[in-house]
Amino acid sequence: MTTRESQRRWGLFVGTLVSAILLAGGIAHAADEIVLGTAISQTGKYAREGKFYVDAYTLTVDAVNKAGGVKVGGKTYQLTLKMYDDQSDPSLSVRLFTKLVTSDKVNFLLGPYSSGITIPASAVAEKYEIPMIQGGGASGKIFDRGYTYIFGTLPKAELYFQSAIEAAAKMNPPVRTAALLFSNEAFDRSVGEGSRQWLKDAKIDKVYDEEYQPATQDFTSILAVIKTKNPDLILVAGHEENSLNFIRQAQAAGVNPRMMVFTVGPPTGDFRKTLGRAAEYVYGVTPWLPDMEIGGDIFKSARDFDKQFQPRFGYAADYHVASGAADVLAFKAAIERAQSLDAKKVREALAALDVETLYGRIKFESTGQIAMSQVLVQILDGKVVPVYVAGRFVNKPVYPAPKWSERK
Amino acid sequence: MLLLQVLINGLLLGGLYGIMALGMSLIWGVMNIVNVAHGALIMLGAYLTFWMFYLWGLDPFVSLPLTIASLFVYGYCLQRWVLNLVVRAQLFLTLLITFGVEVVMINVARLLWSSDLRQVAPSYAAANFEVGELTIPWVRLWVFATTLVLSLVFLVVLEHTRLGRAIRATSEELRAARLTGIPVAHIYAVTFGLGAALAGAAGGLWGMLFPITPVMGGSLTLKSFVVAVLGGLGTMLGAIVGGLVLGLAESFTATYLGPTYPNAISFGLLVLILILRPTGILGRKT
Repeated sequence: MTTRESQRRWGLFVGTLVSAILLAGGIAHAADEIVLGTAISQTGKYAREGKFYVDAYTLTVDAVNKAGGVKVGGKTYQLTLKMYDDQSDPSLSVRLFTKLVTSDKVNFLLGPYSSGITIPASAVAEKYEIPMIQGGGASGKIFDRGYTYIFGTLPKAELYFQSAIEAAAKMNPPVRTAALLFSNEAFDRSVGEGSRQWLKDAKIDKVYDEEYQPATQDFTSILAVIKTKNPDLILVAGHEENSLNFIRQAQAAGVNPRMMVFTVGPPTGDFRKTLGRAAEYVYGVTPWLPDMEIGGDIFKSARDFDKQFQPRFGYAADYHVASGAADVLAFKAAIERAQSLDAKKVREALAALDVETLYGRIKFESTGQIAMSQVLVQILDGKVVPVYVAGRFVNKPVYPAPKWSERK
Repeated sequence: MLLLQVLINGLLLGGLYGIMALGMSLIWGVMNIVNVAHGALIMLGAYLTFWMFYLWGLDPFVSLPLTIASLFVYGYCLQRWVLNLVVRAQLFLTLLITFGVEVVMINVARLLWSSDLRQVAPSYAAANFEVGELTIPWVRLWVFATTLVLSLVFLVVLEHTRLGRAIRATSEELRAARLTGIPVAHIYAVTFGLGAALAGAAGGLWGMLFPITPVMGGSLTLKSFVVAVLGGLGTMLGAIVGGLVLGLAESFTATYLGPTYPNAISFGLLVLILILRPTGILGRKT
C-alpha cells in the first residue's frame, strides 16, 4: 500500500516538474523570436524525403536570420525552428503537432512530408487556428475540406501529369495509347484521377489503368501485363523506390514504351546515380529546377539557393527542398505584410500573398494550394533537361526512347 | 503466353522468399524464437554485398560466401551472448529482445549509411533472354539457382552431418541432448548463426533485384513469417515450398486480380492454411 502511495506521489512530483519545465520553455521563447514548429519524418519510411525538408527549413531559417530576420513594427525578430521526428507515423504526427501548439506554444507551423501525414496533421492547425504552410503534400484531399489555415506549395496532384500528357499528344509521331499505374496512396490516387481526364482530353487511349500497393517491390507481373498491351506511353505515380524498381524491372523484362513518365525520382540526383544508364530517356515532372531563372528576397536566384545548399548538406537541392524553403519564405513575407504575429492576421496575409521567390511565384488559390504547373523533364546524358514548360517545348526530347536492347 | 510468363515470374521470386524463410523457420523450429530481427539480418546482408561491390568492385555472386560467413559470425555472437540469456524464457521476452535488436540494427545502419536508396547493379543486371514470347531476366534466374543450391546444401548439412543431428536432437528433446553431451549453448549459437547466414544470403541476392535501405527488413520479416508458417514450421523443405507458393500467389494475384491484392491474398492464404492444415503445407502432425 505504502509503496503504491509513494509511487503515486513520485508520479505527481515528476509530472509537476515536467509541466513546469514545459511551461518555462513556453515562456522562454516569448522574447524576440518567432518560433516555427514542425514534426517531420527523420526516421521511418519517409526519412529520406523528410531530410530534404529538415535541411531546407534549417538553411532558410539561417539565411533569413543572417539577412536581418523578420521585421514587424520597427522591431526585428529572429526565426527559430522547433522540430520533432514523427517517425513517418500519421498518428504520432498529430500528437506532436498538438504538443507544438498547446505546450510549446509555437507561433506558426511548417508542414510534414507526404499527403498521408499532412491530411491529419493539418486538421490540428485548423482546430487551433494556427496557420500551417506545408511543402510536402500535394493531394487535393488536403485542400478540399474547406480548411482556411492550411497552405501548400506543391502543385496540385491532379495536375502532375498534365504537361506530360499534353506534350505526349504533340510528339511526332503522337502518342496514341497509354498505361496508367498509380499507388493507392491519397496523393497518387489524385494523380491518377487527374491523368484520366488529361488523357481523355488529349484523345489518348487508356489500355491499362491499375492501382498498386506502395510497398510493392516486384513489378514483374504488372510489367508482363503491360507488355502485352504494348502502350506508347507509361505513366507511373508512386514513391522514388517504386520508380526505381519499375524502371529496372522494365529493362529486365524488355518493356519498350516510347515514353515513360514518373511523378517522383527523375529530377533527384541520387535517383540518377542509383540507376545509372538505365535512367536515360526517362521523363519526370518537377515544379522546380535549380537552373530556372527565378528568385526573390533572401535568395537572389534558384542557382544562388542551390549554391548555398549543396556545400552545406552535400547533395543538390531538388523541388522538395525548394518547396520547403518557400514555406519559410512565405511566412516571412506574410508576417511582414501583416505587421503582426497574430495568427489570424498572418493567415489573411497568406491568403492574399503574391511574392516571387527562388521557388517561383507564391500565390495561393482559395483552397490554400499554390497555383503552379509542372515542368516536364527528360534525363539525357545524366542531366535533367526541361522539355515542356507552360504549353510549349523548350528543348527537343529524344523520342521515341531507344529500345533497351539497342542501347549501349 | 502471359500465363506462362506469370508462372515463371512467380517461381523466380518464390525461390528468394524460400531462402528468406528458411533461416526464420530454422531458428523458430529449434529454439522457439520468433526472430523479429530476421529482416534486419537480411538488410545487413544486402548492405555487406553492396559495400563490397561499391568499394572493391566485388561481383555480388562472388562476395556471397563472404556475406554468408560474416552473418554467421554475427548471428553466432548474438545468440551466444545476448539471446542465450533468455532462450528458455517466455516467447514474449524473446520477441521483445529480437525486436530491440532490430531497432538498434536499423538505426545504426541509418547512422552509418544514411537512408539513401542503394542498388547493386553489376553490368549484367538488366540482361535477359527470350524464349518465344517469354522474357527471362538472367539475374533472376541465377538468383533462383543460387537459392536452390544453398537450400540443398543446407538441407544436407541438417540431415546428414553430426552437427545437423545435434541441432535436430536439441530441438526435439533438450534433456536427452544434454545427457548425451551436446553443448547446447554452442548448438543454439550455431543454429542462430546458420539462420543469420541464410538471411544474409537472401539479403545479398535481394540487393541484386531491389533497392537497399535501412528499413527494407520490416516487410521481409513479415514475408518470411508468412512463408515459414505456410510451409510448415520447422520443416526446412516446407519453407522452400511455402516460398514458391507465396511467389506464385503474389504473381497471379497481381496479374489477374489487380496489383493491390497480393497482400490480401497472401494473408488470406495463410488463414486458410491455418484452418485446413494448422501445421502448414508440409508440417507434420504433432
